[in-house]
Order: sequence, then structure tokens, then C-alpha cells
Amino acid sequence: MEHARHVFRIVLLVAVILAVVLLARGFLVPKSYGLYGRYRGANVAEQMNARPVLHGGAAVCGDCHEDQAKKRAAGAHRNVSCEICHAPFRAHVKEDGTVVKPPIDRTYALCARCHRKIAGRPATFPQVDLEQHVNGPPEGKVCLQCHDPHAPKP
Amino acid sequence: MPEISGFAFPNDIHVTWSLMIVMYPYITGFVAGSFIVTSLYHLFGRQEFKPVARLAMATSFAFLLVASLPLQLHLGQPQRGPFVIVTPNFTSAMAGFGILYSFYMLVLVLELWFVWRTEIIERARRSRGVKRAFYAALALGTYDTSAEAVEIDHKAISILAGIGLPAACMLHGYVGFIFGAIKANPWWSTPLMPVIFLLSAAVSGIALLILLYQVYAKLDRRPVVASCVQALASWLWFFLILTITLEELELIVMAYEKSESWLIISELLTTRLSFSYVTMQMIVGGLIPLILLAVVVLMNRYLHEKVRNTLATVAALLTLIQVFSMRWNIVIGGQLLSKSLRGLRSPYEPEIFGREGVLVAIALFVAPFVILWVFDRVLGIQEPEGGGHGSPGTGDATPGAAVAGHAP
Amino acid sequence: MSNCHDGCDSSRREFLSGTLKLAGGAVVTVIGGSALASSGGSPASTGAPGGTAYDWNEHLWAYLIDTTKCIGCGSCARACKAENDVPDGFYRTWIERYVVGTEESHVDAPNGGMEGFPPVQVGFAANKSFFVPKICNHCRATPCTQVCPVGASYRTKDGAVLVDGESCIGCGYCVQACPYGSRFIHPATHTASKCTWCYHRITKGLKPACVTVCPTQARQFGDLKKDGDPIRAVIEHDRVQILQGHLLTEPQCYYTHLDKEVR
Repeated sequence: MEHARHVFRIVLLVAVILAVVLLARGFLVPKSYGLYGRYRGANVAEQMNARPVLHGGAAVCGDCHEDQAKKRAAGAHRNVSCEICHAPFRAHVKEDGTVVKPPIDRTYALCARCHRKIAGRPATFPQVDLEQHVNGPPEGKVCLQCHDPHAPKP
Repeated sequence: MPEISGFAFPNDIHVTWSLMIVMYPYITGFVAGSFIVTSLYHLFGRQEFKPVARLAMATSFAFLLVASLPLQLHLGQPQRGPFVIVTPNFTSAMAGFGILYSFYMLVLVLELWFVWRTEIIERARRSRGVKRAFYAALALGTYDTSAEAVEIDHKAISILAGIGLPAACMLHGYVGFIFGAIKANPWWSTPLMPVIFLLSAAVSGIALLILLYQVYAKLDRRPVVASCVQALASWLWFFLILTITLEELELIVMAYEKSESWLIISELLTTRLSFSYVTMQMIVGGLIPLILLAVVVLMNRYLHEKVRNTLATVAALLTLIQVFSMRWNIVIGGQLLSKSLRGLRSPYEPEIFGREGVLVAIALFVAPFVILWVFDRVLGIQEPEGGGHGSPGTGDATPGAAVAGHAP
Repeated sequence: MSNCHDGCDSSRREFLSGTLKLAGGAVVTVIGGSALASSGGSPASTGAPGGTAYDWNEHLWAYLIDTTKCIGCGSCARACKAENDVPDGFYRTWIERYVVGTEESHVDAPNGGMEGFPPVQVGFAANKSFFVPKICNHCRATPCTQVCPVGASYRTKDGAVLVDGESCIGCGYCVQACPYGSRFIHPATHTASKCTWCYHRITKGLKPACVTVCPTQARQFGDLKKDGDPIRAVIEHDRVQILQGHLLTEPQCYYTHLDKEVR
């Protein structure tokens, strides 16, 4: 065994390296890792608060805009969320309560997204052939001249 | 923005795995391939590989040092790379790679140490000052070169080689597994993938050694041993036949089954990959070296040594291209086709300068040769010829022959 | 986008104070056991995660899409982009349009359908056409979390598949492993990103943004653990379909009236 000294030394060296690696690993593992599974458990709560809620839903809008809300609820657009046309709630009312004018697209392009006749739409859904429905080229706020977006009639 | 023909899922148009992920299996392949060569001598006692056995082991080591770099360079958050070891998710093939890589590194370094131990001690004895301290530290402070100690070295080498070969094969089979086990991608998902990767690793390792051996022999002013080149060429031929057969079988099965993905894959191969697959992988890097190697092996008796060496060298160069094309076609090709199986994106062109660019890829390929050169300067790759100092055992009584016990 | 609003600092502090983690525990984990063994039945694994008011054991979320109702307006994709600050050119949800003939079919999704769809001319006689909203399927047998090397991606107890942006190393393996193309590497954070079912909303009793704005109820969101939930009733009692069922990923995004052309 006297001639195996070098073997013992290298084995010892390997053992020391392994121990250092394991020790280092012990320091590096995030605290909440393994709490719920093989991931950083603290992330679940972080995800819940990862970002502010921007879309509030129609009820929130109705708190201030009662008239439009009532009108909308009675019409064909009753299921159309305010925020589709008027941008998310938080683009209008900031977290600190300040009110900003939200960007509103009043052009025909907004209406066309849903109501332009194209392949793919269910046949029962109201849609128009833009070129035939409008006199002249479709442009600007042409739809609003005849239709009220809050309570549209065909 | 890449052009799409057909329909691709909108997130599917990015080549997330860049040139670096092509380099990664390419470099890892040399690690496994050259270890297979060194094992043919150290483990299986094939004496004809003696002239390249040490070179092969050093090559495996040099490439291993670089092997994880392309992965690191590719990460979006490279500083978090160590977390693959710190918090490994064992259901992930990639986490497994981290552990296999470390394990193989350990085995290989230990084997290197035992093989080169007497040389280290030689150099420690010969040198002075800092140099001496360096070699003494490398020798771990024991200068025992007695017959008994060397005998222990040989035993250790045999055991380590016995562990090292399966570890090397696992290491590279695993790289194939990383792709082969992705059921989302029909161009990757096949159980043949680890096998093909492993075989092509053997191809690239042997081909590289044919080239390296001749260059090294020239630089070291040693004669090129004909039987060694001859043996390397025949093994290269053997592995190349297996590799190409399997690569083709995979396609033939897919085509014959008329699998749902065949339509898009056949389009991928004939349009986007027509150059890199058909021309490079199959003809220039496949068919031509197959013929050249057949000449080398079957007509050996009639060939002049220079002709044989030239033929083998050309064949080796071409197979290196074949293996690179194969890596490219798998990694990049798999990302050109959308998982919608309805569309292909325009060919991927790697950047030149960036972190994952062409220049870095070239540097990664050159780095192992620099490491090899340094290795030669520090430890000497070949055994000193007729070394003045008596180091019994390192001469003719080779460990492989002693263990395997069948000389040719 | 940054996942690093206020959670960042505190988690870094936790990270540093991880010194408490003893190497002994580390040995167990490395050797192939798991740190989970010790936390298996601990109180931490039940009740509200991180001391929040939301109890994830009481919910099991599921998504339901009726393809016959989708009008392809793209409101969902726009709402998603705004709500989650999704970078340009990447999509947490999108809409595909199928125009199907007897022998040929045409599929498109310009800008993920975000701005709606233009008229389309196909060079064959089309028999039918329809829209299909797509979203992360939040699979029960997730191929994406399976391949994550560091456990940055995981499935919560209430069924959402999430990415921990602070642990993600950005290797892109999950992007490759998702059969649905739901994941991408975020161009700014260089980490994986995907639909979270608006986890910041659903844990506060709200619906995901895409469901909130959908004008035709093509997209619906429900709770498989809630009695009397209408979505649960459909999934449990009606004939529902899933995408790429042959891959056995067990999607938790269900479809009704799915066409054979959709993958």
C-alpha cells in the first residue's frame, strides 16, 4: 500500500473538490426552492403581483359612465366590452386616481375589425361588404355618421 | 423578419437555437469520438492505435474543456448557467447533461493524470524554481515511479478507461437525446437520434485523429505509421457506413409510413436544406468519402503510402464536413419547420460578429487545438522516445495489452 | 417588460440569506433524492402561497374555446398585449384563420390576428372558413416544464403553467418542447415568456384579459373545482376536443367544434 500513496492523494483531492462544490451549492440554492415543487416557491406570489391589472371590465366603467353603460346594456353591443374600443381602464384612470383622456379610434377601421365581410366570420354575424355598403371609398369616421356604437341598429 | 412559406405559428418563426447549438454537438462529438479511439487501444488492446492513443486522449480532453462553452454563450442569462448544477430539474435532458459532463470530466482528468503521471514527475525532477513547484503540485507531491506504483497506475487507467468509455458514449448519446426526445418536433423526435449522434461522433473523432496524427507527426518529426492510418481509415469507413445508413433509414421509414410530418419534411429537405443536406451531408460528405475509404481499405495492397495517406486525409476532411452538416441540418433544420406542419421559414443566416456568431464559432473550433498545443508544451503528448530515465512499464508493457491480453 | 417590480429586491435578499440552506440538504438533492421529500407534507404546501389571500388548492382553472363563435376581431390579442406588455412580434395568444376546400386549405394569422383579418383570395374553391383562437394550453402533462433544466418553469396547483423570470437561464429548450408554439424568448429579458392565464388577474377573482374583452364569448374561462361552474359543466358533460391529442400533453384548453385541419 506504500506505493499507492499518490492514489490516496488524488482521491482526497477529488473528495475535497466535491465537498466544496456541494457546499457552494448549498449556499446558492434559492431559499424558497422546493417549497411546493422543484421550483422557486416564492415566484407564485410574485406572479400574482407581477403586474397591475389593466382591464377592469364593463362594470368598472359603468361606475362613472352610467348613461352609456345603460345604453350599451340594452343594445346589440351589450356583450362588447367598453375596453375594446376605448382602451384598457388603466389607460383612462391611473392607479392614483388621476383621469387621462384615453385614445379612441373612431375611424371605420375599428368597426371593420368585427363587421367587415371576410372569409372566416360566422355567417350569422352581422357584417357588410365595405365597398358596397359605403357610398364612395371607406375612410375616416364614416360609420359613425349613421350608426351609434353604444346602441347600434343594422 | 424571416419569410414564411405556408403557415407558421406566429412564435415559430424564430431560430431560438443558433449556430452555437450547432457547435455544441459538433464539439462534444470530438470528445466522445476521440475517446473511443483511445479506448480501442487502452481498453481493447488494439496495438495499431498505439501511435494515436495519447494524442486521442489529449484531444478528447481539449475538446471537453471547450464543449460547454457554446451552451454558455447561447444562454439568454449566461450568469445563471451554474444553476443547471445548483437546482437541476432531473426530468430535463439538459440538467442531466450538466451532471454527465461533470462526471465525464472527472473521469477523464483522472485518467489523464494517471497516464501522464510519470512524465509529470520526470519534468518535476528536471526543472527548477516555479516550474518545479508547478510540476510538483501537479504530481501531488509524490514522486513514486517505482514498478509497483506504475503497476497501480496501469490498474487505475484500465478501470478509468472502463468507466470512461460508457461515460463518453452516454455524454454524446445524451446530446442526441436532447433532440430525439422532443415530441413536439417531428424532424427531431426519433429514438434513432441518440444512436445517430453517437455514431457520427465516432466518425468525427476518428476523422479528426487521421488529420491530427499526420500533422502532429510532421511537427514532431516522427514517421507516420502506415498501419495506424490504415486502421483509422477502416474504422472511419465502418462508422461512416453505419451513420449514413441510419440517417437514410430514418428518412425512408418516415417516407414509407407517410407520417403526418413527411410532407413538410420532404419539402424542408428539398428546398431549405437542399444544399446542406443533399449536397453536403449526403454527397460531398457522405458518398465521396465512402468511395475514397473503400479504396483505401479494399485496395490497401496496391496503394503507395503517400496515395493512401492523401486519400485518407481527403476522406477525413470530407467526413468532418458531413458531420457538421448533419448537426446543422438537425439543429437549424428542425427550427425552419413550424410545428403547425404547414410552413417553413426562410433559411437561417448566423450573424458574423455577435456572441453567437460565426467568428465565435470558429474561435470555439480553433480553441481545442490551442489547448492541445499548450498541453504538448506542458506535458508532452507523445511518450519521450527511448527516454533516458527508466520508467518501467511506459515502454512496451502497455496497460491495454496487459489487461485485454490479446496482441494482434 | 420586467418581472422585477417589487419582488426582485426581496428575492435577492432571500437568495443571499440562503446561507441557511445546509450543505447536508444539498447532498441529498444532488444524489438524486430531492429537497421536496422534506417539504412533502409541510404546511407550506397547503393553503395560500406566499401568505397571499388566494388559496390555490380551491381552484383548478380551465379554458374553453368555441370556434364557431369567434369573429376574428383580434380584441383578445390586443388586450393581451396591453395587459401583459407583450413585445412586438411575439404572441401570448393569437387567432388563426382557416379557409378549407376539398383538397386544399389556406391558413393565415397576420400579426397574430391582432389587427383583425383582411379579405383573402384563395386559389381554390373554399367550402368553409373559420377562426381558431390559440393560447397556451396549460397542459397537465407539460412537455415544456419537463425539459426546463433549472425548474424555472412549473405548473401551479391551480393549473397554470408559469415561468419564473428570475430563475430562467434562457436556454430556449421549453420553446422547442412546446408543440403549440406558445412560448418565446423575450427579446428584452432574454428569458422564456408565455401566457400565464393572466395569473395576476385570476388570483384576484378576475378573468384573463382575453376572456374579459371577447365580444362573442368564444373564449371562456372556468374553474373545475367550483360547483355549478358553466365552463366546468361543458368540459365535463359535452363533447370537447383538444389540440394535438396524440402527443398526450393533456391540454387544459378545451375546444368545441374544432375542425380536422386545426393542429
